Amino acid sequence: MNQKNGQRRSEGHWDRWRLWVIYAIIGLIFGIYSLRLFELQIAQGADYHDQADENRRTEVNVQTQRGIIYDRNGIILAQNVPSYNVNITPAELPGDPTAFGDATALATELDPNVQEVYRRLSELIDMPVSNGEINEETVRIFSPCNTDLGITQVVFIADTNAPYDPVNIKCGIDEKTAMTIRAMSADLPGVGVEVQSVRDYPTGSLTATVIGFLGSIPATLEDYYMSKGFLADRDKIGYAGIEATQQDILGGKNGLRVVEVDVSGKELRNLEAPIDAVPGNNISLTIDTRLQGIAQEALVGMINFWNVYFNEERSRNGVVIAMNPKTGEILAMVSIPTYENDRMTRIIPYDYYQQLQDDPFRPLFNHAISAEHPPGSVYKMPTAVGALNERVVTPDQILTDPGKITVIQKGLVNDPGRPIDYVCYEEAGHGDVDWLRGVMYSCDVYFYKIGGGFAGEVETGLNIWRLGEYSRALGYGLRSGIELPGEEDGLIPDPNWKRVNLGETWTTGDTYIASMGQGYILSTPLQVLLSASILANNGVYMQPTLIREVYNAEGEVIRPFEPRLKWDVTKDPVINVYDENNLLTGEKKTIEPWVIEMAKEGMRLVVTDGTAEFPFDGMTIPSAGKTGTAEYCDDRAQEKGLCVRGSWPTHSWYFGYAPFDDPEIAVVAFVYNGGEGASVAAPIVRTVMEGYFELKAIDAARGQ
Amino acid sequence: MQRQSWRNFDFWLLGAVILLSIFGVAMVRSAIAGNVVLAGLVERQAIYVGISFVVIMVLALIDYRYWSALSRLMYIFAILALLVIYVYGEARFGSARWLDTGLVAIQPSELAKIIMIIVLADYFARNKNKPRNLRWVVTSFLMTFGVVIWILLQPNLSTSIVIFVLWFSMMWVSGLPIKFLGLFAAVGAVVLVLFILLLISGVEIPFIQDYQLQRITNFLFPDPNARHGNSYNVEQALVTIGSGGLFGQGYGTSTQVQLRFLKVRHTDFIFSAMAAEFGFVGTVLIIALLFFVALRCFRAAAKAADPFGSLIAYGFGVLLFFQMAVNIGVNLNVIPVTGLTLPFISYGGSSLVSLSVGIGLVESVILRHKSLDFQ
Repeated sequence: MNQKNGQRRSEGHWDRWRLWVIYAIIGLIFGIYSLRLFELQIAQGADYHDQADENRRTEVNVQTQRGIIYDRNGIILAQNVPSYNVNITPAELPGDPTAFGDATALATELDPNVQEVYRRLSELIDMPVSNGEINEETVRIFSPCNTDLGITQVVFIADTNAPYDPVNIKCGIDEKTAMTIRAMSADLPGVGVEVQSVRDYPTGSLTATVIGFLGSIPATLEDYYMSKGFLADRDKIGYAGIEATQQDILGGKNGLRVVEVDVSGKELRNLEAPIDAVPGNNISLTIDTRLQGIAQEALVGMINFWNVYFNEERSRNGVVIAMNPKTGEILAMVSIPTYENDRMTRIIPYDYYQQLQDDPFRPLFNHAISAEHPPGSVYKMPTAVGALNERVVTPDQILTDPGKITVIQKGLVNDPGRPIDYVCYEEAGHGDVDWLRGVMYSCDVYFYKIGGGFAGEVETGLNIWRLGEYSRALGYGLRSGIELPGEEDGLIPDPNWKRVNLGETWTTGDTYIASMGQGYILSTPLQVLLSASILANNGVYMQPTLIREVYNAEGEVIRPFEPRLKWDVTKDPVINVYDENNLLTGEKKTIEPWVIEMAKEGMRLVVTDGTAEFPFDGMTIPSAGKTGTAEYCDDRAQEKGLCVRGSWPTHSWYFGYAPFDDPEIAVVAFVYNGGEGASVAAPIVRTVMEGYFELKAIDAARGQ
Repeated sequence: MQRQSWRNFDFWLLGAVILLSIFGVAMVRSAIAGNVVLAGLVERQAIYVGISFVVIMVLALIDYRYWSALSRLMYIFAILALLVIYVYGEARFGSARWLDTGLVAIQPSELAKIIMIIVLADYFARNKNKPRNLRWVVTSFLMTFGVVIWILLQPNLSTSIVIFVLWFSMMWVSGLPIKFLGLFAAVGAVVLVLFILLLISGVEIPFIQDYQLQRITNFLFPDPNARHGNSYNVEQALVTIGSGGLFGQGYGTSTQVQLRFLKVRHTDFIFSAMAAEFGFVGTVLIIALLFFVALRCFRAAAKAADPFGSLIAYGFGVLLFFQMAVNIGVNLNVIPVTGLTLPFISYGGSSLVSLSVGIGLVESVILRHKSLDFQ
């Protein structure tokens, strides 16, 4: 080798440029990589840092406790009870729960240790180890707690999604099994028992009408409830009753924790100070569950009695409401048919819900406030009060009831008209009738005459405009604003209404039958009760309410009970004054106190000597009331061919209050297709009243 | 001679390698991220670092020229070792690559890389003065293919490619005539067209697995919503690298690594873990250190006493550089996912030992370059 070339040779044995190509490539790659690294870490570093934070930060919504609902005596009507769910955390099983990811080989290829766990659990909770197969369809519709799949399949799905998250295998197992599983935890690795809070209604169907039930947040309201911190697929909201109207008071506020999670979703620590959940407020209702029970039993018992008596199902629909007229507190509210809200605590079972929906008498519908029926003779009280207050008749003025009167029905001014008969329920008539006798015997002809006028006796009747004013003053035709959803306002017709809705002219006959609560008049049972309550309370209309007190979770009263006055008909001018052409004058007036006194006297006579004498015979506590036997002809009656003129089917009504001189309780009873008010509804009211005083005596004795 | 040899010993190279290896152990420890199953790996890797040091020193002491005489024997040994795993091999992650000796599991393909460097260096050195004709190319190709075929059959495409890259680069430096580049380009084009045609026709392509095609598809058309698999892994690798910023989140504190959003953290994607915890500055330093090791190998190649030694050092430099370039490229999402790990830093005893064999050979070459000058 050449010494001169030694220097060059020691540089290598190869062409130098070939090495330079390699160096160039290395330099180029180093440059590219550095640039790329610069791009990722410096140029886009902040974005990627945010993405990394997004990976690890998870917001955990901490479920709050819904408020408890009590009755007025502290009996629990709605509470939260623990429900035990068995779950499996796939990652904690003693082996691979997926048969190496092969869903089709699940049952046979499964790790024997895992199989052993499944077998033990299967025996305890009575659920098959393997059932159904894994495919796109079953995975898509899979929902824990409500699946036909076996344990193996459920765990397979869970393992594929989030192996560190427990999946519910079976929900709502009994406490004993739950304790057994907990005790066996050493033999059941990966199996856990979760305690979940579930709504519970100890009184069930007895108070379902008032309490209601819960359901999942519907998609349409999701945004609203999400903004209030609720979690759509977990939290529930009230669907009916107090649960629905008092959602904001009962619901509470969920807490929030921002936690750090690892890739498997395991929580590691709080990243921010957690916001604690605020439990919902507790509510005590005005309801007395004992009285509610008495009322329900009285109603159901009476309906069954008559069904058996006539050997046919005449009715299975009725309402009883009791309230304190002086405070507006609703003491009992029964609407049947009702439903079992204790069956709807975890989920609303589809079959049961469908069954309720298909029932023609609509158990989910609160008949006490939402059903509109002709009130019949109970509606004679507004007519009677109006006639006296408007000086249509004097109390002593005698009108004749021959059992039947005939008037010429005129549609238009020039209409020659045709004669139509209006009869009294008493075919022979009541003879000479003054105001009190008219009320106590519920004399139809008397009310025709004072309501619509009768040539020769009552030149100007009360008429439908003014009747409407007195009806509204006594609570008819308006929503009361009670804390329940779906309240209806009933119907008080007037000539304009008839013109618009039926295209016909109002006739004297329309006024006649409206005066006795028939025809187009519709009212809810609650409105009928309110009319009784207002009269019993000397014309003072107290806001009917179901809510007595609101407590916070510590038991401190945050909203004490205060009776709310709506109006006093003897002081507040709530009656609009019409001129002789039935136009509003703009003036308003009150009902004179003596008229209210007369009305009370009339209602007392109903019980002592009138239509309700028999059902209230021998009751020690003096009461007053009014019967109603309301003819109706609805779709159902028409279907059965019951609508025969002169003998229409009838609803049975009665309202009353007691004690007469210092009323504590007003009660209404309504029985759909019940027949006579005196024989069906009145005894129910009596039972409730007597029950009330008996309970009062018991409470008084206990207090001493 | 001994005294002089030690003066020639490349302490810079050894120092860099030891630094990288120790850094690797630390990085594996961080990348384990509390996984109990993997917890033992740190200690194992540390033991391998120790073994590697011994291997480097022993091989540095042995005169590399002995290996020239043994090259045929080693060639046969490589093929036999690769064949043995068909009988006793243990399949991991879908292909039989490992041979469990009872003590340690070794990867014959790792060994094959080093053996092929020696075998090819021997061939090209012997034929240094022969004409670089087609026969020269084809003979060397067939020699290479004789070993690679068994690796392809495992199947292990990435190692096969590494060995072909070694063959081509050694041919290149040995004076591959430029005209042959055109030939290779033509052959490459034909193979590519054939490959695409086969792909379209749906016929099963030999040596290519579904997952490998999937990797290319994922690279070209990533699925942004993937929650697992390569697309997800690469996406998380980018997030991990990017989250490091200029100075990194600090050792053992990257949320992406410690909360295990980054997958295969201790092997294929350890670069990303490193980038997240040490940031742009730290990562560029480590890349520079890795490139420095490769360049020291090329320095040894340039200074080697003979063509054989030069080719060994050069070949190992290429091997090192190619592996690190591919691994970092995968992490930075500039090339599709392959199974190549990051030299010295990724977890893997077999890989570390074979790398240290290479370093030992390079040290052996550089140790003996001066003494030769004196002769």
